[in-house]
Amino acid sequence: MIAAPSQSLALARDEGRAAAARTRIAVQGLAKRFNASGREFVAVDDVSFEVKQGEFVALLGPSGCGKSTILNMVAGLLPRSGGRILIDGDTVETGEVNPRVGYVFQRDTLFPWRTVEQNIGYGLEIAGVPKSERTGRVATAVEKAGLAGFAQSFPRMLSGGMRQRVALMRTLILEPEILLMDEPFGALDTHTKLEMHKTLLEIWERERQTVLFVTHDLGEALTLASRIILLSARPGRLKEDFDVAIPRPRDPVAVRETAEFARLYSHIWHSLGEEFRRTRAD
Amino acid sequence: MSNSRTVILFWQLAILAVVLVVWQWGFEWSKTLLPKAYVPKILDPYFVAKPSLIWQSFLRLGCFADATGFTACIKGSDNNLWLATLVTLKNTWWGFLFGSASGIAAGLVLGRSDFLSRVFSPYIVALNSIPRIALVPLVILIFGLGDLSKIATAWLVVFFVVFFNTFEGTRAVDRDQIAAARLLGASEFTVLRTVVIPSALAWVFASLLPAVSFALIGVIVGEFIGAERGLGKLIIEAEARANASEMMVAIFVMMFVGILLAIAVRSLQSYLLRWQPQFEASA
Ligand SMILES: Nc1ncnc2c1ncn2[C@@H]1O[C@H](COP(=O)(O)OP(=O)(O)O)[C@@H](O)[C@H]1O
Ligand SMILES: [Mg+2]
Repeated sequence: MIAAPSQSLALARDEGRAAAARTRIAVQGLAKRFNASGREFVAVDDVSFEVKQGEFVALLGPSGCGKSTILNMVAGLLPRSGGRILIDGDTVETGEVNPRVGYVFQRDTLFPWRTVEQNIGYGLEIAGVPKSERTGRVATAVEKAGLAGFAQSFPRMLSGGMRQRVALMRTLILEPEILLMDEPFGALDTHTKLEMHKTLLEIWERERQTVLFVTHDLGEALTLASRIILLSARPGRLKEDFDVAIPRPRDPVAVRETAEFARLYSHIWHSLGEEFRRTRAD
Repeated sequence: MSNSRTVILFWQLAILAVVLVVWQWGFEWSKTLLPKAYVPKILDPYFVAKPSLIWQSFLRLGCFADATGFTACIKGSDNNLWLATLVTLKNTWWGFLFGSASGIAAGLVLGRSDFLSRVFSPYIVALNSIPRIALVPLVILIFGLGDLSKIATAWLVVFFVVFFNTFEGTRAVDRDQIAAARLLGASEFTVLRTVVIPSALAWVFASLLPAVSFALIGVIVGEFIGAERGLGKLIIEAEARANASEMMVAIFVMMFVGILLAIAVRSLQSYLLRWQPQFEASA
């Protein structure tokens, strides 16, 4: 799976060009305050960043630092207390769904009463895509997710990894240009997680969606992302911003042996370590 | 191996046989064996009839043993067993259908709206506190002695049971599943149709099985209090003539009607909830 040098150089240049591309997500001075039992507390404080066309950005930070809160505000699921979020230049309105944006949850949100293919085809079905067209697209997606033979199964018959693959396909089949993912593999064991990384890398390296991927797992962020935004412990603030110049196509096991991985790992680890200590000190 | 199918069936049949034998001959035997004071009144055929008499009454009420022939007998009487069963079954079915449909609709609407559920909550609690049977004479006064009053009575008993379960089921829907559906492009109505209803269905069905029995009870009570036809009316007529075996016939037919309705609901349930583990086998 390790790419030939010339090819990886070309892909690295590709990513360089992506950085010059247009801004898809712009977060400006974002803030979120919650009212916890009468007391107001700041979950997210003055966060600004941009995600460009075709970038795979990991939002990394210790648990409870406000990563999901940020992502939910970007998705328009949660009202913000301050700041602005623009997607393709348009302000995100809470409660309005942007059809160009796909979202993958950490928690299992498959519909248990629908079979695998009915789950994957959900978005097409409610959009009124005719059955003849749907069947073909769903079959392709089932194939892509490595779920051939499970199309008629109900989610409870599947393993955690398979379920998350269904969830991923349920979102990807709508061909979103922007993908928001909230620790989608957080509940999986290490082995399954690596398999999922492989699947996601293959898909992304082929289709190059704009991705904002929330995680607290440094290895995961380095494996997948082309850029890592590091958040501080609560309240979530921007701490550092790294480019991950590991060539593609990447293999989730082989990346760990690259010098760039090792360098960034120890650097971010120390930075992240300070934040974990701050979390515990609270 | 004491719980294998055959052994279970053997004991079930054995119990049935003992009950039938004691019911048929127990009173005679105890009269010859026991002092008069100890003869169990509960076995007296005057009160509880006995299997052979019930069978004869069944043949007579069902027009199987009529000199004029089956069809002539059916046409000749206005509340024979067949007609009475049909009327009771029909009214139970419609009462159940209207009751559960309106209960489901109200439960979904109030379950999805915090505002409406808070506005209506005291009224629902108050209305639900009325013993439904107390309303039956009123219902008959309003809707008359015909089928409508029986359907309305069944509706009364079914509605609240189904309403409360649907309401709870609607409240218990996974918020993240709703968010996921919205992010996949679902409108409020589509969320209701494709997430809330399927998800609340398990709760709804948990109430439909008791509801179908309640509907039957409602109709029978309605027929007791004022009716022209039906199994309840048959019982009241038999009571007037102190005819226990005819009452027993009506009771047994009710039992079968109840079983049939329960089976119908049960099979619909296992089809619609086939995604749940406990219904997997029947899927
Ligand atoms: N609805 C809410 N009400 C009150 N506090 C909340 C709510 N949602 C999240 N929080 C708090 O905000 C902080 C950030 O939460 P979250 O964004 O879920 O963190 P992360 O995803 O980084 O683990 C946490 O301390 C959490 O307890
Ligand atoms: Mg989170």
